[in-house]
Amino acid sequence: MGRASAKDYSPSSSSSSSSPSSVDCSKHKNRTGASLSFASSMCQFSGCNSGCSSSTRGGRTRRGDLNTDLRLGLSIVSPDAQRDNWIDPSASKQREQRQDWPPIKSLLRTTLAVAGKADTSVSNVHNNNGDRNASLFVKVYMEGIPIGRKLDLLALHDYDDLISTLAHMFTTPIAYPNGDRADHAESLHVLTYEDREGDWMMAGDVPWEMFMTTVKRLKITRSDRC
Amino acid sequence: MDPSKSRDSAESTRVIQFPNDVLERILSLIDSHRDRSAVSLVSKAWYNAERWTRRHVFIGNCYAVSPQIVARRFPNIRSVTLKGKPRFSDFNLVPPNWGAEVHAWLAVFADQYPLLEELRLKRMTVTDESLKFLARKFQKFRALSLLSCDGFSTNGLEAIATDCRHLTELDIQENGIDDISGNWLSCFPENFTSLEVLNFASLSSDVNFDALERLVSQCKSLKILKVNKNITLEQLQRLLVRAPQLTELGTGSFLQELTAHQYEELERAFIGCKNLHALSGSWEATTLYLPVLYPACTNLTFLNLSYAALPSEELAKLVAHCPHLQRLWVLDTIEDVGLQAVASNCPLLEELRVFPADPYDQDINRGVTESGFLAVSLGCRKLHYVLYFCRQMTNAAVARIVQNCPGFTHFRLCIMKPGQPDYVTNEPMDEGFGAVVKTCTNLRRLGVSGLLTDLTFEYIGRYAKNLETLSVAFAGGSDRGMQCILDGCPKLRKLEIRDSPFGNGALLSGLEKYESMRSLWMSACKVTLNGCKMLARQRPRLNVEVMKDEDMDDGQSYKVYVYRTVAGPRTDAPSFVHTL
Repeated sequence: MGRASAKDYSPSSSSSSSSPSSVDCSKHKNRTGASLSFASSMCQFSGCNSGCSSSTRGGRTRRGDLNTDLRLGLSIVSPDAQRDNWIDPSASKQREQRQDWPPIKSLLRTTLAVAGKADTSVSNVHNNNGDRNASLFVKVYMEGIPIGRKLDLLALHDYDDLISTLAHMFTTPIAYPNGDRADHAESLHVLTYEDREGDWMMAGDVPWEMFMTTVKRLKITRSDRC
Repeated sequence: MDPSKSRDSAESTRVIQFPNDVLERILSLIDSHRDRSAVSLVSKAWYNAERWTRRHVFIGNCYAVSPQIVARRFPNIRSVTLKGKPRFSDFNLVPPNWGAEVHAWLAVFADQYPLLEELRLKRMTVTDESLKFLARKFQKFRALSLLSCDGFSTNGLEAIATDCRHLTELDIQENGIDDISGNWLSCFPENFTSLEVLNFASLSSDVNFDALERLVSQCKSLKILKVNKNITLEQLQRLLVRAPQLTELGTGSFLQELTAHQYEELERAFIGCKNLHALSGSWEATTLYLPVLYPACTNLTFLNLSYAALPSEELAKLVAHCPHLQRLWVLDTIEDVGLQAVASNCPLLEELRVFPADPYDQDINRGVTESGFLAVSLGCRKLHYVLYFCRQMTNAAVARIVQNCPGFTHFRLCIMKPGQPDYVTNEPMDEGFGAVVKTCTNLRRLGVSGLLTDLTFEYIGRYAKNLETLSVAFAGGSDRGMQCILDGCPKLRKLEIRDSPFGNGALLSGLEKYESMRSLWMSACKVTLNGCKMLARQRPRLNVEVMKDEDMDDGQSYKVYVYRTVAGPRTDAPSFVHTL
């Protein structure tokens, strides 16, 4: 299995194994505590495809079958065969969040849950200086590449901005509906996103503001799939 | 001092008897209940002198003893501390209506201790009727502290405010209560002046601000004030100018638009609080006004930000103003960089607690790592209490941390993903915790986590000679692990285990041990009903209580709570609790 040396890991880097782009790092620094975001935490509890689960920190990969891990919700990773035979009691509650782990008191748990929900309604909180205090980081995957990136949608203005940022990040041209770029007619990839209902949609059909309230994560898929 | 009064005296060893009143005078100066327990074992005379002079009784497990027995032994109690449910009830592992009702105690106290002044309850069930009873029956009642209790509502608090004429302390913390209205605060009589401690930070209903302001103005001895998050900054300013003598303050939310003038006034109010040494609050993420706190931070020894998800830069700036900080509670939004600021600015730090801001999110580069902990251990050499929630850790880091701070008394590390190994070497965290117990000879409390084999428990059993409390979750390989603990830790008092592969063999290996402990909790382990029955049969002075976990179908899903008692089996057990 892969082992990352300690120096490869730096907490402020993005989860990608490639060198972090300056876009990501600076966004990370500006992110405030407003992002007690539940958007990304919902990911692990849905039966999402393999693209989601492989985001790792410092290149460490997990043992065991990733899909099994996801179905168990809170997976117990261990070489111990005896342990693997346990079914995590939360398996039946995989879509709920455990109320008994991690061991924090109820008041803190509910306070954080409320804060998390408030955050996923994308509201731009401006202080007197007009600085943006909120951010909306979503995961972005490119089909065929297990390691994803993260992108702050609140730092972007519209679809054009999104597409060009992504094209730059993944060094591939991307098409989207209503995009009037002739040179993208040949592009192999399109941008899709998962909405709040769990459906995968083509990006670009709804107005940008509406898109922002419904998007959970992005995926650059091959255009022959759509 | 009359030597002829000594009994049992051989020529060489004389037990010198003090006259009772001298002995009682001396013993009345002893506060610690552990010292008093030791004193009571010296001789019958000392036992008697001690019991007559004890004013405060501490009962760590409300079912270990009955109120009648307590009252019979200690006739002059003025202050009671009572703890009820097992600690894992904080994490929803104990079903509701489990017990630990305070009312039976109050009924006896009304009879035996009518002059009772203080009641401090932790994890007890308290009803509104009990609160009304308390307010009515105890004319000298002064201090009520309810921590992690449940069963009451703000209506019960109304009774306390209305009827307790000499109330000095009302401390309501982190309880599961029915927050109906804030009217209780308005129930304090008009001319009320005695309050010294008022903590309603965890209540969410609005209180009448005028009533609060009047209360604060009139109570000149008010030292501790912790308001809830509905109190605005402007209101806080008005309170502070009326109570500059405060030593501990819990603010409301910091979310409000202030004019420049209001900001200045607030700043001045904080400057005026020259005795402030503890600060807390449920702060929102906007941190625009944090600088008003900076003047007050100079004298701070305790900063509790565990409900304030502030970004690391703001937290770093804040702690930079707290050179005398001894205790810091934060959310992990502080990140490693914020912890580095703590390390650089707070050399006197003794206690650090880092809670997870996003407890369910595992796949994300957030929170704190081993680097932050390491940094603090380098900069804060007096660190001896840590509670640390993180998503990754290494054995090497833990070993270095305890090398830097060998004085740990409380080491509670929670790697949030169950069974997670050292993320660099992929090995179990055995060696890390081994280093903790080998190096920290004063260790009294240990919370382990991550991937752990029996080796961890071998180390603990072998080295942790002062360990009193051990918390285990998702750890261990076989019965042997738990056996090592029970064989090895001579001072063990509380052992709580969940989701670990310890079965009947392990349970029964503690036969000789459990009566010297306060309690044992095991849930989602491999213990069976038969094993518990065997334990109960062989140890009649233990209560072996079993609760069946309704979610699990197999025969092994029991929650076991074992504790020593002189009160016999519970008489108030609900149907799902079986005393074997």
